[in-house]
Amino acid sequence: MKKEILTSARTGDSCIHVKHSSGLDIYISEMNDFSSIEALIGTKYGSVNNIFRNAADSDYTTVPEGIAHFLEHKLFENEDCGVFELYARTGASCNAFTSFDKTCYLFSCSKNYEENLEILLDFVQKPYFTKENVDKEMGIIGQEIKMTNDNPEWRVFFNMLRGMYHNHPIKTDIAGTEESISHIDADLLYKCYDTFYNLNNMVLSIAGNISADKVLEICDRCLSPSEDKGLETVFPDEPDEIVTSEITEKQPVGASIFQFGYKCTPSDGEQRLRDVAAASTAAALLTDPALPMCERLLKEETINSTFDGEVFYGSGYFTVYFSGESDRPHEVRDALFEEIDRLINEGIREKDFQRIKKTAYGMMIRGLNNVEAVANLMLNAHMDSVGPYDTIEVLSDLTCDDVIDYMRRELRPDRSVLSVITKEA
Amino acid sequence: MIYKRSELGDSIGFNTMVDKKFKTCSLAIYFLTELSDKTAAANNLAASILTVSSSTYKTYAALSEKLSELYGAGLGSSARKKGDAQILGLRASWLDNRYAIDGEDIGGEMRRLIRDCLFNPNAENGAFDEKSFAMVKKDLIDRIDGELNQKRSYALEQAEKLAYRGEPAECTGYGSREAALSADPEEVYRAYRELLKTAQIEIYYVSPEEDDSFAEMFRTSFSSIDRQPKTVSMRNHSPLKAEVETLSEEFDVNQCKAVLAFKTDSDDRYALKMLSIIYGELPFSKLFLNVREKMSLCYYCSSRSVSVKGSFFVDLGVERSNIEKAKAEIMAQLEEIKKGNITDDEIQGALMALDNAVLQVGDTPSSYIGWFLDCFCDGETITPEEHFRRFEEVTKERMIEAAKSLELDSIYLMLNKEVQAE
Repeated sequence: MKKEILTSARTGDSCIHVKHSSGLDIYISEMNDFSSIEALIGTKYGSVNNIFRNAADSDYTTVPEGIAHFLEHKLFENEDCGVFELYARTGASCNAFTSFDKTCYLFSCSKNYEENLEILLDFVQKPYFTKENVDKEMGIIGQEIKMTNDNPEWRVFFNMLRGMYHNHPIKTDIAGTEESISHIDADLLYKCYDTFYNLNNMVLSIAGNISADKVLEICDRCLSPSEDKGLETVFPDEPDEIVTSEITEKQPVGASIFQFGYKCTPSDGEQRLRDVAAASTAAALLTDPALPMCERLLKEETINSTFDGEVFYGSGYFTVYFSGESDRPHEVRDALFEEIDRLINEGIREKDFQRIKKTAYGMMIRGLNNVEAVANLMLNAHMDSVGPYDTIEVLSDLTCDDVIDYMRRELRPDRSVLSVITKEA
Repeated sequence: MIYKRSELGDSIGFNTMVDKKFKTCSLAIYFLTELSDKTAAANNLAASILTVSSSTYKTYAALSEKLSELYGAGLGSSARKKGDAQILGLRASWLDNRYAIDGEDIGGEMRRLIRDCLFNPNAENGAFDEKSFAMVKKDLIDRIDGELNQKRSYALEQAEKLAYRGEPAECTGYGSREAALSADPEEVYRAYRELLKTAQIEIYYVSPEEDDSFAEMFRTSFSSIDRQPKTVSMRNHSPLKAEVETLSEEFDVNQCKAVLAFKTDSDDRYALKMLSIIYGELPFSKLFLNVREKMSLCYYCSSRSVSVKGSFFVDLGVERSNIEKAKAEIMAQLEEIKKGNITDDEIQGALMALDNAVLQVGDTPSSYIGWFLDCFCDGETITPEEHFRRFEEVTKERMIEAAKSLELDSIYLMLNKEVQAE
């Protein structure tokens, strides 16, 4: 077991990282002034990981879309009872989620964290899939898929991704489709479980009113060692070009919404951290109400205060996108084209750049003020192969030129996609 | 944590919570007033406009610039209802001065900025600034138009409108489209002056160190205002309809929504909450275990007790063809509770969940503020521990009585067009 203390030189915050002998990475932040405890165990397995093999396998296995999410639902059932029932006895609030590149199981509590942690570690190591319980879940997940298909924010986002990506599975819905999940059975679930729920592919993150020694003692007791089988996931080749520059869909909505994004070059590890810092700063500048473009669009009522910019990334995908409510989304797109050109040609005012950096710093400090946010920070940083406090350091080293370079290189009009959901006539 | 409440003026409460663990300071000012379709939109616009400009920062751009210089300090407004009352809020939060890299006095700057927004707003000759007004008006109309974008919350809102028809709570907390459209800068300015004069005002300040400067600022600023506060009646039970009423709307949606509204004459809010947890609030509740897990009819099916209105809601997303089946099971599970089918494990599970939840009060500034504001609205300030003790005292018999008091009042259905056409 290898143990290290990670510290932020800027804020003084610290956490413990342990590479456990079972193969699991463990992050612990003792925040003993707080009452609550937040724990997440996550696997690097999300909706995009549909083609994979272990080192000993000769061929790749391809599984149906939506299976990671399906597995998440089913892992909540033990042979004897449901996991919710176990947590009902301790009072913890438990949940799980599947994203594009990870699946996480979590609990939040203010009492009995030792027992809650034991339940968490136990059930993720004990899959129980049968024909009956798999069939039963089809109707529930079918309704979940229908519900998300009625969510215009979800639709506008996936339409944008479909406009960007030819082959990458990021363009498919996390839960799959009713058709794709109909191919899922207990054997396939076990295959995916055995592959991705190897502790070498997983991370535990726990923060709050805890004792690190106690957490590690529970881990020692509850974790069964996993052999690293050399997991390899692959993605289809993805060209740099987009599929189409515009997708519009009609839906029963009261307000038309849009997302406008740039397909950017994906990256990993520390390079990705630098790219994210530059891309986030660019997005913040382009949506800053203090700057003339935004001020003009608000005054002309082209946008309202929902206008926002974000960075979205993972293995093999990276996009900077802007979203909001508007009846004139093309004007927003054209304004962004112009503003990016202007910033590239005229540069960013140092004063504005420093303000945006200060805002980002403020947000990071706020994140360290909250048990749930700290637990998520540690987990996400590990999933991204960086340290929990690295972002603060990278941000402080970021220069105006880095942001201009990023915009010039990545925010290219020919790699942009406008997705719109409009009201039905 | 050290909690203190003092009166700064007639019905103006100033609550301080000092908690060293926080890296930020948070301030919230709430105006409590009667909910009415005539004033809700104007009140909401007034609260909004205070957070987009002031007499010092005359444009949204200028105010945003200042806030970002202060390490992205937050400033925003909210408008919601509680029972028959409207609660308008202004919230601000900022980094504690010890995190200011360049040694700025963030707290002092925010105090001046907030004072300016509230007491020297961007107004002249009895009217708010036109440009700021246009911006918040568009935001409000877009928000109202956008209600339908979120299908579940839209369905719940329609169910409330149906259940509370003819009562103040029929209105949303943020106002109607018609009222928003007809509002002008003069009317909204008058609405703000009226709030300053007549609303119940509660202010909450959460900081890591003791700091009297905000209380002093508010005391001085309010001293020049002629206060004539009006009492607000938020706890009014909604009457049961003579016959169960069903309202359905058709949309081109994939999933239908159903909301069942019940009414109760019970004032036993602790028993109603325990009942709701056991019936349908958590993943071990009867509705989850039966309607979802056993019958696979839905992804969500949950209940909520609104004790200030004597109402109780169950909502779910479901196939059109399964609505009746789901409704029958929802009613059957309620009948089970009425018959006394509540296990000790269910009661214990509900108490454990409540215990965990109340112990987490104080882990974020907003949870402190939410706790003490709820206490104020309920008319008594108690500790989370006392709150939990009252849940512990709820007997199974009281829960059964609470369940027996529920009568179905109305049903809202969002239906799928295609299925309907068949």
